[in-house]
Amino acid sequence: MLGYIDKIREISKRLLDEGRVDMIIGFRKGTIPMMNEPCFVKNSGELSTLVWDSNCGINLANYLTDRKEKIGIVAKGCDSRNIVTHIIENKIKREKLVIIGIPCKGMIDKRKVAGMFENGIDDITEEDNILRVKSRGVETSLKKSDLLQENCELCIHRNPVIYDELAGPLVEEQKDVDRYADVRRIEAMTAPEKWEYFKDLISPCIRCYACRNACPLCYCPTCFVDESRPQWCGKGQDEIDTRTFHFLRAYHCAGRCTDCGACERACPVGIKVRQFTSKLNKDCLDMFGWEAGLSPDQRPPLDTYKPADPGDFIK
Amino acid sequence: MEHMGVEPGRLSFSWISSAESTKFVEVVKDVTATVKALGPNNNFKKAAKVA
Amino acid sequence: MSDWEPKIASFLCNWCSYGAADLAGVGRMEYPPNIRVIRIPCTGRMSPKFFLAALMQGADGVWVSG
Repeated sequence: MLGYIDKIREISKRLLDEGRVDMIIGFRKGTIPMMNEPCFVKNSGELSTLVWDSNCGINLANYLTDRKEKIGIVAKGCDSRNIVTHIIENKIKREKLVIIGIPCKGMIDKRKVAGMFENGIDDITEEDNILRVKSRGVETSLKKSDLLQENCELCIHRNPVIYDELAGPLVEEQKDVDRYADVRRIEAMTAPEKWEYFKDLISPCIRCYACRNACPLCYCPTCFVDESRPQWCGKGQDEIDTRTFHFLRAYHCAGRCTDCGACERACPVGIKVRQFTSKLNKDCLDMFGWEAGLSPDQRPPLDTYKPADPGDFIK
Repeated sequence: MEHMGVEPGRLSFSWISSAESTKFVEVVKDVTATVKALGPNNNFKKAAKVA
Repeated sequence: MSDWEPKIASFLCNWCSYGAADLAGVGRMEYPPNIRVIRIPCTGRMSPKFFLAALMQGADGVWVSG
């Protein structure tokens, strides 16, 4: 993954110098380990700030919404699918974009790594599949493939679906991944069990809306949780309000979610937010054979009608 | 909804033409019976809001 | 508990089920009094917000009909 950065800088320099884009959206090193942050580079002198490693889990498509400039954007598989979703939903024009595709091998789960070191992490470097973590002067080597984010472990769209430039050779897609094992486990529960399961799941939620803000799909000018007349959902930490928030957020992502994991990554208390959306992803796949963001020419299932659409639930 | 632990049957959908008053009556009876069988909605109701 | 009756929030499409309800009334047909009718301009107006809000505020069931 590290080899990509020279190529990213090279492409970015060319794009900026030729005036094909006004800015590049990429990642720069964060102030603490494993927290790379998005950055906007507007002239080629600043390109050295760009980085690429396995901590670039934030979904950059989030920063494209309604932008008017010409933009070069660094995009992993999931980012590119979200860019497609943006194009379908008229949130950005394809002509405005130069997509620098990154064949991705997964991002590391910072919570898993942080949980392994009591004394905190001073620095982390990586080489192919090895992570070297420095904690209080002690260096430990870890295997990256054991520490991937859950959605990356289950990802079958590692390569970008649309791109103009490519930062490296396409990687092999994972096969035979059981993506919905978790969903099936919950499906097998009875209604009260499910109720309790989700009650436990969201009990630590502090309603900070980080999941919403990190999500590239959540671009409504006024989110339903901020509406006060009518107030769909109370603002406190009432259990039912919290549940309503998570329900509705998931519903809004139905047929659009690309399972990029940004919500889970952003959650400060470590709630597995994807438990809500992955059920809907599975349903979309089962009922409509649809996965979000694979092609800009296809309309999503929830805004088209086909005579074969399942309707058994209607009396 | 069901996935997140709301009992199936709390929410029903149907499709009735404006000429089908008999079907309307039938469905109302049906829906009422289903919800009655489930009992009161104690889970989702906000405790503080009980009027 | 035995005299408990469910409250069912019913979202009825103006052109379909609402018409049917009207016709049922005109025809003097009898049906359970548990439904509370909310007329919506079209079932397309329906949103997950509505039934969640209904359940949250104490409805025992929700019925959407087009």
